[in-house]
Amino acid sequence: MALKASDLKVGDTHSEEICHELSRTQIVMYAGTSGDYNPLHSDDMFTKNAGYPGVFAHGMLTMGMTGRMLTNYVGDGRLTKYGVRFVSQVWPGDTLTAEATVKEVREEDGQQVVDLDIVTKNQDGTPVLTGSATARVD
Amino acid sequence: MADEVMELTPEMKAAIGKSGDPTTYEVTTLGIRTFARAVGYKDPIYFDDEEAKKQGHPALAAPPGYFGMPVYNPFRQNTARRPEFDSPFKRNLNGGTAVEPLARVYAGDILEAVTTLANLEILPSRAYGQMLVRTSETVYTRKSDGAVVAKTRGTGLSY
Repeated sequence: MALKASDLKVGDTHSEEICHELSRTQIVMYAGTSGDYNPLHSDDMFTKNAGYPGVFAHGMLTMGMTGRMLTNYVGDGRLTKYGVRFVSQVWPGDTLTAEATVKEVREEDGQQVVDLDIVTKNQDGTPVLTGSATARVD
Repeated sequence: MADEVMELTPEMKAAIGKSGDPTTYEVTTLGIRTFARAVGYKDPIYFDDEEAKKQGHPALAAPPGYFGMPVYNPFRQNTARRPEFDSPFKRNLNGGTAVEPLARVYAGDILEAVTTLANLEILPSRAYGQMLVRTSETVYTRKSDGAVVAKTRGTGLSY
């Protein structure tokens, strides 16, 4: 179900837990489906030799899971822009919560759109992803 | 970690604005299902062909940001998706990505992606010393009708 512009106001938020205790299996599943086989995401020995405590999730996995929250909020096929920065690493065992905040409701090319600020935080409240999105609304 | 190189080399500067070889991406039902599963989607339009059609889609729909898998060819050598250059910065991280979806992508689509190196900068970072920040822009075009289905802008961090 799509959002209605008339139901939205600046400052409204929508949040979801997008993963609970992220598993290494999920990271490997993402590597397989994305074709991103960087060993930083699958090989503990390689990763430790590179100076990290262990493997960590692809940023694009966090972006994908955060995108799921956005799609749940604004409706399927409604996103027109979605951009993120990966500001901290996501580790196996992390629980992530993504939140979208309404920044502006406006008209663009004759269509109502909503601009959203996005942040995804881990279980310690540390942001791991920040960004913005724009979606068509009714 | 690169400690000595402080400026872009002439080769790096020459690479800015250049595009890599086109890369073919196949969007398959298997790919859509495995991506949707890995990311945690439950919407049946990503898993159930009949349900997708009931909801007005011609085939399984690709979740936002999914453009299929690059076609791997072990016999095709020296093909670079991005313009390449010698660099002392050997380790890579993804700094961020922006996606502009322009048309819906479905199972069965074959996309051609062309990536252009938009910018290179060497910047200091707290964690890694100097970093090479690579900004790339990729345009995904559907082969069957020539429609541009998405544009992406990525920031790669090398240290």
